[in-house]
Amino acid sequence: MASRANLRTGAALLLGLAAVALAAPLLATDQPWLARGAHGLVSPAIGSLLGRRPSSRTAETAVLRAPIPYSPGRVELEEIRKPPSTAHWLGTDGLGRDVAARVVHGGRVSLTVGLLAALAALCVGLPLGAVAGYRGGWTDAVISRIVEAVLCFPALLLALVVLAMSPGWLAGLPDVLRIALVLGVTGWIPVARYLRGEFLRIRGSDMVSAARASGAGHGRLVVRHILPSALAPVLVTAAFAVGAAVLMEAALSFLGLGVRPPTPTWGGMLNEGKTYVMSSWWLSLFPGIALFLAVLGCNLLGEGIRDHLDPRTDR
Amino acid sequence: MDTKTMSNRRLLAGAALLSIAAAACVTPPDRDDLPSVVRAGLYAEPQSLSLLGKTDRSSEIVGRLVTDSLVQYDARLDLQPMLATSWEISPDGRTVTFELRDGVRWHDGAPLTARDVVFSVEKSREPATEAKSFLAGFQDLVRVEALDDLTVRAEYSKPYADFMEAWTVPIIPEHLAGREPELLKSEFARHPVGCGPFRFVRYDPGQEIVLEANDDYWGGKPAIEGVTLQVIPDERTAYQALLRGDLHLLSVPPDIWAEAESSRDADRLGRLLFYRLTVWYIAWNQDGSHEAFTDPRVRRAMLLALDREPFAEKVLGGLGKAAATTYHPDSVWADPGIVPLPYDPDEASRLLDEAGWQDPDGDGIRERRGQSLELTLLTPASRQEISGRIAAWVQQSLAEIGVRMEIETLEFGAFLERRRSGQFDALMASLTFTPIPDQYELYHSSATEDGFNFFSFSDPEVDRLLELGRQTFDRAERETVYRELQRRLEELQPMSCLFHFASPVLHDPRLRGLQPSPIDLWRITPGPRVWSWEETEPGP
Amino acid sequence: MSVPSLGRPARRVGTGLLTLLLVTWVVFLLCHLVPGDAVSVDLGEESIGHRLPPERVAELRALYHLDQPVVRQYGMWLRDIARGDLGRSFHDGRPVSEKLGARLGLTVTLNALSLALMIVLAVPLGAAAALKPGSRADRWTGAATYALYAVPVFWAGLLLQILFSVRLEWLPLFGLESPDARALGVLPRIADRGAHLVLPVLCLSYGGIAYLSRFVRANLTESLHGDAVRAARARGLSPGRLLFGHAFRQASVPMLTLAGFLLPGLVGGSVIVETVFALPGLGRMFVDAVFQRDVPVIMGLTLLSGTATLIGIVAADLLYAVFDPRVRRG
Repeated sequence: MASRANLRTGAALLLGLAAVALAAPLLATDQPWLARGAHGLVSPAIGSLLGRRPSSRTAETAVLRAPIPYSPGRVELEEIRKPPSTAHWLGTDGLGRDVAARVVHGGRVSLTVGLLAALAALCVGLPLGAVAGYRGGWTDAVISRIVEAVLCFPALLLALVVLAMSPGWLAGLPDVLRIALVLGVTGWIPVARYLRGEFLRIRGSDMVSAARASGAGHGRLVVRHILPSALAPVLVTAAFAVGAAVLMEAALSFLGLGVRPPTPTWGGMLNEGKTYVMSSWWLSLFPGIALFLAVLGCNLLGEGIRDHLDPRTDR
Repeated sequence: MDTKTMSNRRLLAGAALLSIAAAACVTPPDRDDLPSVVRAGLYAEPQSLSLLGKTDRSSEIVGRLVTDSLVQYDARLDLQPMLATSWEISPDGRTVTFELRDGVRWHDGAPLTARDVVFSVEKSREPATEAKSFLAGFQDLVRVEALDDLTVRAEYSKPYADFMEAWTVPIIPEHLAGREPELLKSEFARHPVGCGPFRFVRYDPGQEIVLEANDDYWGGKPAIEGVTLQVIPDERTAYQALLRGDLHLLSVPPDIWAEAESSRDADRLGRLLFYRLTVWYIAWNQDGSHEAFTDPRVRRAMLLALDREPFAEKVLGGLGKAAATTYHPDSVWADPGIVPLPYDPDEASRLLDEAGWQDPDGDGIRERRGQSLELTLLTPASRQEISGRIAAWVQQSLAEIGVRMEIETLEFGAFLERRRSGQFDALMASLTFTPIPDQYELYHSSATEDGFNFFSFSDPEVDRLLELGRQTFDRAERETVYRELQRRLEELQPMSCLFHFASPVLHDPRLRGLQPSPIDLWRITPGPRVWSWEETEPGP
Repeated sequence: MSVPSLGRPARRVGTGLLTLLLVTWVVFLLCHLVPGDAVSVDLGEESIGHRLPPERVAELRALYHLDQPVVRQYGMWLRDIARGDLGRSFHDGRPVSEKLGARLGLTVTLNALSLALMIVLAVPLGAAAALKPGSRADRWTGAATYALYAVPVFWAGLLLQILFSVRLEWLPLFGLESPDARALGVLPRIADRGAHLVLPVLCLSYGGIAYLSRFVRANLTESLHGDAVRAARARGLSPGRLLFGHAFRQASVPMLTLAGFLLPGLVGGSVIVETVFALPGLGRMFVDAVFQRDVPVIMGLTLLSGTATLIGIVAADLLYAVFDPRVRRG
């Protein structure tokens, strides 16, 4: 079935990307995995992971290097904008930094932002949407008013203010949190809407009506009938939300509002590379592919969950 | 309902097809005909077309094309007579008398008189006009009057050696601009009339400003028939417009210049380079909040740690050169004996050691009395990524001599506030200068609150030289004073002057007569009025 | 999003106005809480040698009433709004209504055209996919639309520009119309503008096509095998007519949702496309206004988008109830 294929592909993509992102500090680092030090074999890579500063003075010979033996921030003026080669598999950027290392490390930021933003949007959107859909009536009306007010508010202004200007206390937060905050605060509405529709459906479904008619209390209704039906829509929303958030981060980077350089992010790399599309295509292609795969994975996963779990829900 | 949707869709499809067909009929500009008008790209809309109000670059360009001033800088930064043919300064330096050129007419035919000059100067001093450069320049002006139709006298409260700079103020017609009290909101600001080489035709907001040649210009009819300034905020789009021939002249950012070097499409384009009156600097906060930076040895060490030559060559693509001081190297005022600091990390280490910053625990960061040598570099967000690259490079270079630097990027407005309030360890940005040698506003100890000395630098010898330079009118004496000043500044390194940037310009190769200057191509004399079109030799 | 209020349009308008008031107040406050103001940002660009003494700076501030307390400034703005005056831009002094009006047409056209394109392409795509769910065609269209959805807008814009404007030279590169458009007659000029809008509209719509077509497909697969359809087939309606009639009604739900989103997105939504294609739209104006701290323009745009949003929501509510009987019941 299509849904199985979607699910599997989506999940595989995302898990793969997440694994690479998690392993980034070991995968792409200029510290060798194994080196012969003064007292036998040492692992500078793991050492730097644990926070120990690299010592350049001890005589060490590298025995085993990382698969991508460059750190993402290492400026090498001799290697500016070199095309993909055996030395640099994906080429180098405008400061001679290795693109592969930056793509791998960039995944951490892009995926973290995506996850956190989706989480924020869910935290706000899930309770509001669910309650509005399930309770209906007055609660629904009040929540609708809130949604209206937020919709009328120019989201771009909020993004610009929080991300670019950071008055006072906001300035102390790391970039990633601030972007997640903005995306969450502006992105919860589609989540809420979708969930409201789904909860309306669930509430009106025959199964729930029958259960209520037979005298089941709220608690029992919720636990035995509502929650299982609600699980699918929530997961679907979550999957799509992550994809949307990752794309939004790229958009914000284009406007200069994303995570600041020199931290690599996929969107930021695309922004840097757009000037060189004709001459240094590798600067735009690889982060673009990574971004594309991540968003595709999320969408396929969401679609797969929806197709897979939904038909089982009673109408 | 279905038939309706079906026919709706057919209608839509038809319209789409029609559009595409029609588009094919709109032919792109034919590159083979020699143009008569120069189409240039502007990255920002002019804030005002009143010729005098608002001093953003786009407004100033329009202003200079449509009207003239009494004097104007030429490509070598000497002031040349324009509407004023001669001037005389009184012995006490407080009065100047100008003789105006006879026979100059406004674009509507009326003659230009001294009253127009008086009107323009007084208008520029009204806050509502927002002619900020002239508000500042005419601060000490006490009185300006028309002695007769062609003579203007101005009196100042105190002498200032660079007072002539303000007389580059654009002159506007009193009989037209004086009709309404507020210049910026007036009808004149929508349809400006000047006495310059080009007359204003029309402005399509957000799109383009169209100017045509003034046949009766006192300096002779321009060799081109007009100038159209096209507003395109995205550099990439503008560059592609240039490649297609939609534009003839464009100043481009460094990345696009680099791409044009290697792109075959851009082979035929003419290239121009000139070093602007700007300095890319890092200012170290010397207000005492960060104990390292009050020591000139530390400041010097920071600069010694930066290998600027290869960076300028490789990353800036030859569009920047290491700077020595805040004086433009091509300016007559620069001391040729002062050269940029070399790359010498060993000397940098030695200086830091001497200043007490050492690394006993071998963690790679120097410290002194328990304080690590760490700082956050504040830099404004810029659409140019070069800023981010320089920051990353500085970060890595300083790490190599044991200084740990974080980078904080802030939106421009927010950056300005932090700069003004002194809440930073170090700042990196660009400073723009005028051609005058006086830099009192930057270095004088009194300029910390309201001036540009936001990094709280203070040195009595520098103060003395700055004050002396302002009062000295004799050219040779001034040169001596300012050379001494530069030597003292070089010793103390109040701010690290990293680079001077070049402004690259790409143009249609058939456009001739462009004069690069440290100001730009437009706001100098003779400027655009001697540009011309000529066929290029047919290539091989 | 709510049904009970349908019967009380007056109260709806009332709450709408209150919402607008609240939103404009918050925005105004935000504008004044951020560091810097129109004067300081403008002065920040000045050269050494042109320093203004504090008295002059204060005078400049007073010109824009920036020296008054925030509440008083808001009050002044409200008073002007009541008289229908949107004020003048801090940046270039032009009336805000004029600035908005000049760009409104374009942004509306852009968004309307892209919505139209989305519907035109997505509905048939979704319907065709629903006809044979699980088939190869279905999977491939699904994959293709999702691929499209995952491409960042500015990247797509750039690639389209390079392909169609630089390489093939089929379409104009930027702007609203060609340099010599003034010389053209009315119809060719409209065609010229149309040509300039092709790429931007394409960019704005490709993401929505994916979303909409999947939505249509998802909804259709449910109902195609439901009772209503069997009943209609029994009545003798051909599957084609049935499909398109049904598809349209199903599509109306996400369509209305999209339309509901379109109006608030009027201002911010097309910023990227406007920037890449140098189109003088509202999105870019908003971003510039924020960076320049041009409060009257920010407020004018907020009022515009807020009003449009409210109208969109109310209209969507009404249509929603008309089309989807489930909502009426629920």
